[in-house]
Amino acid sequence: MPMKGRFPVRRTLQYLSQGDVVFKSSVKVMTVNYNTAGELSEGARKFVFFNVPQIQYKNPWVQIMLFRNMTPSPFLRFYLDNGEQVLVDVEDKTNKEITEHVKKILGKSKEMLEREERERKKLSHPATFGPKKYHLRECICEIEGQVPCPAFVPLPKEMRGKYKPAVKNEA
Amino acid sequence: PGPFPGLCPGWSPRAVPARGRKTRHDPPSKSKASRVKLPPPVDPEELLVVLERYRQHRLVLSALRAEFRAEVLQQKREERLAAQGSVEEQEEHRRLMAWNDEENARQQRRREERARKEEEEQKRRKLEIAEKQARKMEAFLEEKEKEVLQLQEEAKNFITPENLEARIEECLDNPRNYNFAIDKDGRIVKRTVLS
Repeated sequence: MPMKGRFPVRRTLQYLSQGDVVFKSSVKVMTVNYNTAGELSEGARKFVFFNVPQIQYKNPWVQIMLFRNMTPSPFLRFYLDNGEQVLVDVEDKTNKEITEHVKKILGKSKEMLEREERERKKLSHPATFGPKKYHLRECICEIEGQVPCPAFVPLPKEMRGKYKPAVKNEA
Repeated sequence: PGPFPGLCPGWSPRAVPARGRKTRHDPPSKSKASRVKLPPPVDPEELLVVLERYRQHRLVLSALRAEFRAEVLQQKREERLAAQGSVEEQEEHRRLMAWNDEENARQQRRREERARKEEEEQKRRKLEIAEKQARKMEAFLEEKEKEVLQLQEEAKNFITPENLEARIEECLDNPRNYNFAIDKDGRIVKRTVLS
């Protein structure tokens, strides 16, 4: 059976990478208190069901804890590394509104993300080749404009090591 | 390649086995019975000098490496701190926290509104129910009153042992004719004569 769960799309990489909430580095813990019944908690429930996996995927080092049926109204609480706690009331809000709110107060802005992306790109040069872990291409034969790999296209006779001394012997 | 002197490249990575004819399990030959294997000769002064030079070289190199490593780490840490604790960032953070507090206050007000409305609804419903109950009670009482009065009325026409004789005489004196005919249109005809 390939699909598991009620909404297996939540487990796909494409869905997870579509999450756009990347927390600032000062956010360490996120806590969600919500109720499993009740109209007012509906947005929080949907948030936990659909959006929390995306957030965790984008922030693997943030600890996320879920508490059910402990308080009468749902809320989110963020613990920053300087000891500050940020309380977000989510009663009677849809899950989209909640994500927008969270992104606004504690998410990295688009320019910041782009800047980080550019910094990361600067570290590695795309023109070099080597082990697949660090470079895009492994051998010089994979680079366009270079001599193709002799495994697929045999080299012309003059470039092969066998024929040079043979030609020299003949001459 | 192979053990061909002309065509074997000198930089072949594959190691050529040096054992030759015998395997490692064969005993050494008789001509090697008196062979004494000595370690290579070493000049003690030269050894000391060389070792000292190597020690100093390695010391200096590792110190340099540690120095550079520490420098790079320090730079990275400073960069990170600068990115984190800059004044604009803190300002921004405070502004966002204030906005969040406002949002919470708004939510609080909305919640209070909702609670108030709920309370009013409850009160209204309670009142309605009470009214309905009262009305029902009234209607019931009225019904009962009517019944009692009706009964009182009927009690006047009851046959008691006292007027039994009189009633019997009355009935015998006025014979009632219950016969009637009905046609298909539903018209009643009372023409039969009592005999």
